[in-house]
Amino acid sequence: MKSVRQLLIVDDNPADVTLAREALEVCASGCQISSVEDGVEALAFLDRREKYANAVRPDLVILDLNLPKRGGLAVLAAMKAGPDLRRIPVIIFSTSKLNQDVVRSYELGANCYVCKPGNLTEFFAAMKSIEQFWFGAATLPPRGE
Amino acid sequence: MSGTAVKLAIESSAVPKPKLRVLLVEDNSLDAELVIRALRKNSFDVEAVMIVQDEDSFIEALGTHSPEVVLADYNLPNWKGMEALTILRRQNLDIPMILVSGALGDVLAVECIRQGATDYVLKDGLARLPEVVRRALQEKYERSLRHQAEKDLAKKADELARSNADLEQFAYVASHDLQEPLRMVASYTQLLSERYRGKLDENADKFIGYASEGALRMQVLIQDLLAFSRVGRANATCTNVDCKSLMEEVRKSLASAIQESGAVITETNLPSVWTDRTQMSQVLQNLIGNAIKFRGKKLPIISIRAEKTGEHWLFSVTDNGIGISSEFAENIFVVFQRLHARTEYPGNGIGLAICKKIIERGGGKIWVESQAGSGSTFKFTIPFQSANGGKT
Repeated sequence: MKSVRQLLIVDDNPADVTLAREALEVCASGCQISSVEDGVEALAFLDRREKYANAVRPDLVILDLNLPKRGGLAVLAAMKAGPDLRRIPVIIFSTSKLNQDVVRSYELGANCYVCKPGNLTEFFAAMKSIEQFWFGAATLPPRGE
Repeated sequence: MSGTAVKLAIESSAVPKPKLRVLLVEDNSLDAELVIRALRKNSFDVEAVMIVQDEDSFIEALGTHSPEVVLADYNLPNWKGMEALTILRRQNLDIPMILVSGALGDVLAVECIRQGATDYVLKDGLARLPEVVRRALQEKYERSLRHQAEKDLAKKADELARSNADLEQFAYVASHDLQEPLRMVASYTQLLSERYRGKLDENADKFIGYASEGALRMQVLIQDLLAFSRVGRANATCTNVDCKSLMEEVRKSLASAIQESGAVITETNLPSVWTDRTQMSQVLQNLIGNAIKFRGKKLPIISIRAEKTGEHWLFSVTDNGIGISSEFAENIFVVFQRLHARTEYPGNGIGLAICKKIIERGGGKIWVESQAGSGSTFKFTIPFQSANGGKT
């Protein structure tokens, strides 16, 4: 039996998290969404530390770049340096269109870079295609428990 | 430098006598005495004199004595007077050095002056010395004024460049950071209108619609502003651009507008120019795009030509569209200036502002020649010689 897909959204803007949840409310994979608001929380969640001791390991991380405490690139770098965490695909989801952000993200091992669309229809479409591709078409690594 | 002292020195032929600090390179104390006397007799109040005979004491005297003028004998037992000049140069000191010597012969004297001595005075013609010193100080004073003026100018230019850069940065940051909250307004009004259409009352649908449209329009405005500020931020990378092949690209990017309008575009005499390819393409696209957009009811006929005039290429884009009355000819190049209702002709009024910025940054000019109702010709120039020395 295929277990429910777990998605972690790291974004300090609750309005964006709500939009993402709205977009994926009805989706094929029926994935479960968790969210945290800054880079420190994100790493605590992934490492299952402190209040996240019982957190589930995500199958996919959607990561904003502009985050409080520890920025998205630092979180990405930390994940890709971890023996287990490096296997989790990371989608950078940011408003930044700066070449340096895109290039740096891929250099640090991001699996994909998606610009947050300013328009609701496109935002929904972007979230849905991420979900369909990563939880539909793609084969993900087994969860290393 | 002691500006006032020098100033006094050059202005006075009368009282009060200017005070002068002299460094004498001289081995003969009698000659030294004569030199000082010649200066004193002729309106100079020689405040301090130091007499040295070799390199070490010369260097020391420069530090302790701060001379305004160096008077040097050509031949010394242990040194050469001209070497004083080398030391002044090495220490980056702008102090006039005048040779005061026995007969040197014309050839040698000219050679000394060619090497940088300010002047040459014969020991048996010391009556000339005060005038020579005065002129040397005058020249030094003028040099320092010029130097100061150049420094001031460079500083002003630097400040201007910095404040411009600040402004560009501000426009960029402001428009970038404004996008974030606006995205929320746009997304959520859109979500409201999709999810609650027909579930509230008619007014609610209308109000949400207005809010949503306003937010979307502002997003476009901010994107345009970002594009405009980017013209200033990105460094233009100039290459030799073949405008004929560039026009093929421009036609491709305007393909749908050209096809839809049936526009006929002719090119005459398009050269290769030294410019930034992307920006040049932006300019042509904007101008041709406008020529198509503002076509009125006629089939658009657009001609693009270039000719050599003076020191630049003069490009012109002529159309048979609705034209612009002369009173608006300047306005149209200002950011967000529009002449028509949005329902009549869409757009934000950013295109020509971007063209102007690109052309002017490249050292050219852009303007329009037009009359309402009878077509427009947009003209712009691109210098042959670019700022970085490249040539077309």
